[in-house]
Amino acid sequence: MKRSIGLLAGAVLVSAWMPAQNAQAQNAVSCPVKLGGILPLTGSMGPVGKRISDSAQLAVKHINEGGGIKGCPVEFILRDDQGQPTVGVDAAKYLVEVERVPAITGSVSSGVTLPILTSVTVPSKVPVVSCCSTAATFTTLAQEGKTGGFFFRTLPTVKTQAYASAKVAADRGFKRVTMIYINTDFGTGMVKDFTKAFNKLGGQVLKTVAYNENQPSYRAEVNSALSDKPDAVFLVAFPQDGATMTREWISLGGTQNLILNNALRTPEYVKAVGGKFLQNAFGMDNASTSGPTVESFKQSFQAAYNASPDGPGIYNQYDAVMILGLAMNLAPDLSGTAIRDAMRKLQSPDATVVGTGPEEFKKAIALIKDGKAIRYSGATGPLEFDANGDVSGAALIWNVKGDQLGTDQTLTVEEMSKLIKQIDG
Amino acid sequence: MIGQAIADGFLTGGILALGAIGVSLSSQILKFANFSHSELLTWGAYIALTFTMFATAGAPIGPLSFGWSLLFAVLLAGVLTGVLAIIVDRLVFRRLRSRHANSLTMVFASFGVALILRNLVLLIWGPEAQYYTSELQIATEILPGIRLLPDQVFVLGLTIVLVIGLHLILKYSRLGMSMRAMAESPALARVCGVKIETVVRWTWVVAGMLAAIAGIFSGLTVQLRPEMGFNLLLAILTAAILGGSGSLFGAVIGGLVVGLAENLSVLVIPANFKAAVPFMILILVLYFRPQGLLGKSETK
Amino acid sequence: MGIVSYLIFFAIVVSILSIITLGLNLQWGSTGVFNAGVVGFYAVGGYTYAILTAPGRPELLVNLELPWILGVVGALIASAIAALLVGLATMKLRGDYLAIATFGIAVTIQLIALNWEGLTGGSLGMTSVPRPLSGFFETPFTYNVFYLCLSAGFCLLTYWALERIVRSPWGRVLRAIREDEGAAIALGKDAATLRLQAFVLGSTVMGLAGALYVGFIGFVSPFDFVPIITFQIWTMLIVGGSGNNKGAVLGTLVVWGLWSASGTLISKILPAAFQTQGGAVQTILIGLVLVLTLLFKPGGLIGEEPTTSRHAG
Repeated sequence: MKRSIGLLAGAVLVSAWMPAQNAQAQNAVSCPVKLGGILPLTGSMGPVGKRISDSAQLAVKHINEGGGIKGCPVEFILRDDQGQPTVGVDAAKYLVEVERVPAITGSVSSGVTLPILTSVTVPSKVPVVSCCSTAATFTTLAQEGKTGGFFFRTLPTVKTQAYASAKVAADRGFKRVTMIYINTDFGTGMVKDFTKAFNKLGGQVLKTVAYNENQPSYRAEVNSALSDKPDAVFLVAFPQDGATMTREWISLGGTQNLILNNALRTPEYVKAVGGKFLQNAFGMDNASTSGPTVESFKQSFQAAYNASPDGPGIYNQYDAVMILGLAMNLAPDLSGTAIRDAMRKLQSPDATVVGTGPEEFKKAIALIKDGKAIRYSGATGPLEFDANGDVSGAALIWNVKGDQLGTDQTLTVEEMSKLIKQIDG
Repeated sequence: MIGQAIADGFLTGGILALGAIGVSLSSQILKFANFSHSELLTWGAYIALTFTMFATAGAPIGPLSFGWSLLFAVLLAGVLTGVLAIIVDRLVFRRLRSRHANSLTMVFASFGVALILRNLVLLIWGPEAQYYTSELQIATEILPGIRLLPDQVFVLGLTIVLVIGLHLILKYSRLGMSMRAMAESPALARVCGVKIETVVRWTWVVAGMLAAIAGIFSGLTVQLRPEMGFNLLLAILTAAILGGSGSLFGAVIGGLVVGLAENLSVLVIPANFKAAVPFMILILVLYFRPQGLLGKSETK
Repeated sequence: MGIVSYLIFFAIVVSILSIITLGLNLQWGSTGVFNAGVVGFYAVGGYTYAILTAPGRPELLVNLELPWILGVVGALIASAIAALLVGLATMKLRGDYLAIATFGIAVTIQLIALNWEGLTGGSLGMTSVPRPLSGFFETPFTYNVFYLCLSAGFCLLTYWALERIVRSPWGRVLRAIREDEGAAIALGKDAATLRLQAFVLGSTVMGLAGALYVGFIGFVSPFDFVPIITFQIWTMLIVGGSGNNKGAVLGTLVVWGLWSASGTLISKILPAAFQTQGGAVQTILIGLVLVLTLLFKPGGLIGEEPTTSRHAG
């Protein structure tokens, strides 16, 4: 015990003069360039996180094939957070201090991403780009200046999703809606925003039933939600629990007017429930519906993993890594501040558009070398961060035709901001 | 609403009861609470899944969602899960027994075994949810306000048959008598010529088979996931203790109480607190009857 | 440099977890109380600290904004009260029954934290919880050095106090209860009260760790207090050697070290396609360490020291 304290004291002394030396070292880029990743690979979010990590690995591959970062190949160091904040913070600390990664992508649950920001990356000035943390808290923190601008996310906040869903629900003539939602910041946020918007648009939320993850069965929750015979049910869930609940809901005779959240837009969910029961279902997602950049991403993901990229966070995670790769190339050096500032330079309206895949990345590097401005249009369409690191995007309303996921309609950026104005007043 | 909740409660309760009987048997005969029992449920369910993937599905039987291949898989998975339980016993628990380790050491060992078994499922079969059949059944209204699926009726029926069958075995067969003798007093049983290790082996086989069946039922009525057993673990242990370790019907009643409590509770309190309901009942019951509902009071 | 900084961070986590393990060692190692609800008392401490010190927000019930040290004191008091209530309801239970009951209480505490939004911030948790004296330090590095001194100081204090306690006459009676409760009662000891005392004291120590953890991270979330943490703490105690406070600390260091090291190794050596299986391998490893310890070194790395009475020679 005593000896270890002595060792630590020694280490503290030695390190007192280290920071200065360290700042110097950052100007020269040494190969390979490291990029940190923190995602839930096991635990209840494991199935979701696994696919998301596939997407991150694909983006890293594309960056490397497209010329890497500042002429160096990228080494992606991925750590599992198990959906636990303590483990995630430990992983972040390791990546920042030991691996000295200049930037991190992650994590999925807001409850994991938040402490990573507050206790590790913001104090150390390391940019974090998340594919999937939707909590409104990040916006609040950014407004209070507590993220230092070092946090970005490539998916719209809960608010965009909730408002768009409320609008479509109202357009379809639903008056009385029951919600079943996952009892996390994501689910509760969705309930609040949807209720607000739906009331404003003339509808009524009859009942909200929370469910906790990892229950052996959700029959009781479903039974409780069935009681009021609603026009439609809004299910906020992840594919595994979501499939169980939808199956139970339908087999117990619940309405097939289903409103679904973005995470359920996966072929697994459709297959598990059965397409024929989902013909009246619709859901919201942010991805721009089509366009060459989206298609090219779809094809390369399909080719790499022989699986569809439709699923929670997969498009968004690809963009999170690609945009970091572009920003790191654009930044004058690989310090956190430089990368943070470069992230915002990727969206000037009159710049040349670069898309997904290695070829486009190669093109982007050439443009950067020539000092030309670029703008990233990714797997989720054109990406634009506001002052708080949130993206404002078009909303996509998806549905199921036959056994396939399809597109019902899109709400453009303009329509969305009009809607937000209408509801928030 | 209440009628449906009661029907669902019986269904959940039946599955919990099958698990609780296994826990109860091993705690009587092996003298420790086996926290890895729930992983036998998971393994049983996944072994059956593997078998149905290789076998030709066969036409569904009557109104049920599955064919004969699943019924055959139940048998096979039951046996293989029993074998798995014996292997684990050989590797871990028997060594501890031979050292006369105390019962809580066995409990801790079962924590470790549970971690290993659960994550092996994750490695072998992957994290995604799976189903025996993707066919979705629509429930029929059997009584006003009560809807049940044919599969659920089948599960309930088979559970009742299994419990009665097990009761008869325990009561009248030679093995059953040896098991009961072991439960009463291992020392006395040995004097009377009961082969301890044989009884232990059969206990694992029976517990493993029941666990596999409970796992398959849970997979059939909900879904298969690597954590499915773990998510049932506390409800099963609660059911076993609630009924009073040491009685077959106690475990069944414990299972039904927990199943009904979970399903009825959401009509009264917000569903957010559902997970706490069985424990609250457990603590209340134990406060007034520390030996459980049907348990004999401690005299040892 | 980076390694040093990470090691300091690592040492902070180990010292906080060690405090929990020490508390559990008093309950289990010294007294034989099977508390499977460790994480519940850790949560009570952490949440009390956050509730008492967090900056005021209109949506919260409690807006006291107390200084951090009062937050720590409050955490101790709250976890002691929670343990007293739980103890009164459950202390007459034995062994596995007590384990399930306390486990259920930990689940309930987590559910309350998750659902009582006005008090705890609900599923979002509470952000911007003040970190003790953070205003006095320029860089994250110097702050972590300070925090290590703080958490290691509390850890040493706990260690020292518990050492004194187990060697006191009171501690000897606790061990007597563990070994043979009937005999202890026959000698006129009030076993039930003594078990309750040990349970409350041990849980209070766990509450201290919770306050230190939340103070360090500056954020509290219900997902930080999941049941699996209880299993992890038990593994630490058993691997280190229950009944021995040095063993409790060593076990924490070894198990958490193994956990972090295996995570690093997996992210380094496994090819990208198998990375996702790495987490499962990590957990299997922890399970193996637990089982192998019980099989081959049942007393743990450092077993309990024989404590014979001075008078018995």
